[in-house]
Amino acid sequence: MEHIQANPAVAHGQGQNFDTKAIWRTFRILLIITVVELILAIGYYEIDFSNKHFVKHVLNGIFVILTLTKAFYIIAEFMHLGHEIKNLILTLAMPSLLFIWFIIAFLWDGNSYKNLRNNYDPYQKEQSLKKVEAKKPGAAE
Amino acid sequence: MAQAIPAGQKWWSGGKSPYNVEYGKLMMWFFLMSDAFTFGAFLISYGTIRFSSNSWPDPNAVFRSFPGVRGEMPVPLAFVSLMTFILIMSSVTMVLAVANGHANNKYGVAKWMGWTIVGGLAFLSCQAWEWTHLYHEGAWWGRNPFLNIDGTQSSTNFSNFFFTITGFHGFHVFSGVVINIIMLIMTLKGTFEQRGHYLMIEKAGLYWHFVDLVWVFVFTCFYLF
Amino acid sequence: MSNELTVHGHPGVAAPDIHYEDHEVHHHKETFITKYVFSQDHKMISKQFIITGMVWAILGGLMSVLFRLQLGYPDTAFPFLEDLLGKWAKGGKIQPEFYYALVTMHGTVLVFFVLTGGLSGTFANFLIPLQIGARDMASPFLNMLSYWFFWLASVVMVSSLFVETGPASGGWTSYPPLSALGDASQGSKAGMDLWIISMALFVVSSLLGGLNYISTILNMRTKGMSMTRMPLTIWAILFTAILGVLSFPVLLSGFILLLFDRHAGTSFYLSDIFIASTQKALPNEGGSAILFQHLFWFLGHPEVYIIILPAMGLVSEVMAVNTRKPIFGYMAMVGSLFAITILAFLVWAHHMFVTGLNPFLGSVFVLLTLLIAIPSAIKVFNWITTLWKGNIRFTPAMLFAIGFVSLFISGGLTGIFLGNSTLDIHLHDTYFVIAHFHIVMGVSAFFGMFCGVYHWFPKMYGRYMNNTMAYIHFWVTLVGAYLIFWPMHYEGLAGMPRRYLDYSGWASFNQFGELNRFISTVAMVVFAVQLMFVFNFFYSIFKGRRVTSQNPWGSTTLEWTAPIRPGHGNWPGEIPEVHRWAYDYGKDGRDFIMQTEPIGDHESKH
Repeated sequence: MEHIQANPAVAHGQGQNFDTKAIWRTFRILLIITVVELILAIGYYEIDFSNKHFVKHVLNGIFVILTLTKAFYIIAEFMHLGHEIKNLILTLAMPSLLFIWFIIAFLWDGNSYKNLRNNYDPYQKEQSLKKVEAKKPGAAE
Repeated sequence: MAQAIPAGQKWWSGGKSPYNVEYGKLMMWFFLMSDAFTFGAFLISYGTIRFSSNSWPDPNAVFRSFPGVRGEMPVPLAFVSLMTFILIMSSVTMVLAVANGHANNKYGVAKWMGWTIVGGLAFLSCQAWEWTHLYHEGAWWGRNPFLNIDGTQSSTNFSNFFFTITGFHGFHVFSGVVINIIMLIMTLKGTFEQRGHYLMIEKAGLYWHFVDLVWVFVFTCFYLF
Repeated sequence: MSNELTVHGHPGVAAPDIHYEDHEVHHHKETFITKYVFSQDHKMISKQFIITGMVWAILGGLMSVLFRLQLGYPDTAFPFLEDLLGKWAKGGKIQPEFYYALVTMHGTVLVFFVLTGGLSGTFANFLIPLQIGARDMASPFLNMLSYWFFWLASVVMVSSLFVETGPASGGWTSYPPLSALGDASQGSKAGMDLWIISMALFVVSSLLGGLNYISTILNMRTKGMSMTRMPLTIWAILFTAILGVLSFPVLLSGFILLLFDRHAGTSFYLSDIFIASTQKALPNEGGSAILFQHLFWFLGHPEVYIIILPAMGLVSEVMAVNTRKPIFGYMAMVGSLFAITILAFLVWAHHMFVTGLNPFLGSVFVLLTLLIAIPSAIKVFNWITTLWKGNIRFTPAMLFAIGFVSLFISGGLTGIFLGNSTLDIHLHDTYFVIAHFHIVMGVSAFFGMFCGVYHWFPKMYGRYMNNTMAYIHFWVTLVGAYLIFWPMHYEGLAGMPRRYLDYSGWASFNQFGELNRFISTVAMVVFAVQLMFVFNFFYSIFKGRRVTSQNPWGSTTLEWTAPIRPGHGNWPGEIPEVHRWAYDYGKDGRDFIMQTEPIGDHESKH
């Protein structure tokens, strides 16, 4: 870091200058998406659906998509990756693909663990289905 | 300058960076990549445990309080929305600082770095408040007062993961604030002006945006799902 | 020019702080501290890594001698052990707790501290700048930190050997609940905490190193050194570093959760537990011990490639030099390294077939695991084809390279057995597994390392190692390794389980008593020969035959264009420019053509 000597070419050399308008546009997009997410989350809480589980699954899918969109804008605009050259974009995008199998395998096995326990440990299942009284806030202390 | 790059440039032939960036920025990117795997591992562990539980507490029922408001808010998730807003806002000020760095505008950089630090501190304060609040409700590592959404007894893992992951994120925010303060001091001392470039601000910026990026995922995983 | 940002030789932006254009090599005064201790010179850091690695290897090897003594002679008391180890060997017999501590530390030390720190640390540091034509690493300072974090991790790990309750003893994989509950065993107490702290420091060290290796290789190649002109060593180190940077953080996360389970009353990994020693049922509920295994093996599997890839790279290079032939299938070699790197991230759960993993998910992991056979086989065939009709010089380095291929085949084939979940039900946790991974990643990675040490020792110290000792070292180690591990396959097929310190109570394994004694004897002989190697190494640093020519092996790569004892900055003048790939051996009637030589007018294509 200290090693890079004063070189006027360097300061201007990094890609393009920032467009202040684009920054605020990105900010608005992020804000709108977040607000939409909140409306969906709260709306689900307020409205009583007959097929709650299905709606929740659809909602979670939407949340994933919206979250990835937000991530895209942060990375592309704020972190300026969208304006770097393709080599850098690809080099960073490729390893991220590893997350796909990382997530699938872990969640798959987590789900399977639940099923195994429910099948082979009936006591545990029975306990986990028992309704209990809510403690008063602060009661645990 | 994009125009300065000749068409058909042979990026990989050696003698130059194939990415058109200096090594420090490259290293920061790769570090963030690896940090993404740290956070990824945490969040995926959280998902795994959630998938292996028969039920889980409802975030809308847990996160209902707001500083200064007695009892529960009419709408849940209000406070976390504020936190999210603060963090995104501080990301914007960070970009503005970087943009001013590109224009070699020392006071612009200092001003926006200052706001970014304020944003970071505000976020940390919010988190401190939220933690304190949850602590007084009886939640902590190894303790979870909240019931599952279906009214059954929940395991402690809801609070375990919540405090561990938001704590780890908060730790990142904290180090980001420290880095930003150092950058601000160096800016004011004119270190970067002497060097003729504000690349360090860019690297600090990358880290700061990454913290924001992680929050986007933490937000989804803990407050929305 | 924006894209000239990090070019060397470009006035003004030359990398790390060294200005050779108008100064002599030793333009700044170096004290003992800056030259030998807190050195930022990649060559010195590499030497620090290898010497620390050797100390660890001796310690780790000594541990294996101790437990082989127990396994070979379960009924005999050795009073000297009590003198040496005190309560851990009461009455001259190794106590069960200590036996577990020994195998745990043996695994941890050899896998992480020797074959990761010692191997990648040494050769990545030494070879990257020299072979790609750079003055030093991208960030010499972080590089130095990387070593000192490694050193700190080592100190913490060594200190754990001396705590009263003994070092960690839950296996190098440190599965919970054994590792999460202090009450579970002696070794789950303070030793386990120190183990986790040490490993966390190790992760930091490997991260700092890895980031540096990647940025240096990608960003700081000299003019003309395109990616496909790089020697295979550099490719292998690049992929190794990528593996480390992306997988070690996951281990770190797993450890952080483990620490919380140990000290903060959480139950990430704990559920339904009754501890026999305290007769207590624990309240922990909802966690999953399998989760830790997933997190651990998400690193653990790439880790075995972190160990083997550098060895592969070193072997490829040494083999091309000593057959006087270009490496066969350069692009296929690079491609298979890449394929191995990708697959390394996708197959981790094949270590967990019998843990209660979903069987269908397991079958997916079987498929992905068996795919690894393809790139591995490509590499093996390429090495063999490189040897084919070569003009082979049997230097010690070359012998170890060939030995590596032999061991890699022998150990790799049993991997196909173990990669099948159905066979694994029988073979899991038997001596078959021990035999498999010791041959394929233990001994063969060591062979790669020895091959590298013998080959580059002249560059490191300006002297040769003693050949007679080297030949003895090679033959005894090769024969010994096979004699130790080959019979273990039979024991494993017979169902003999790992992790027991005494099999004499087992009628069905009594037949192996004699064999175990034999294995133990050979293990001690092989260990003694390694000590001879260490002696050879240090003796040769001071008394070895001097290197008199710049390029003693007749090699094409850049490190041999540097002075015999390069100073900090490697090349006194300009960094040489590269005009061709690294494997122009036996071309157009010439023995070899250096990478720095421009392509001639009438040269044939390769």
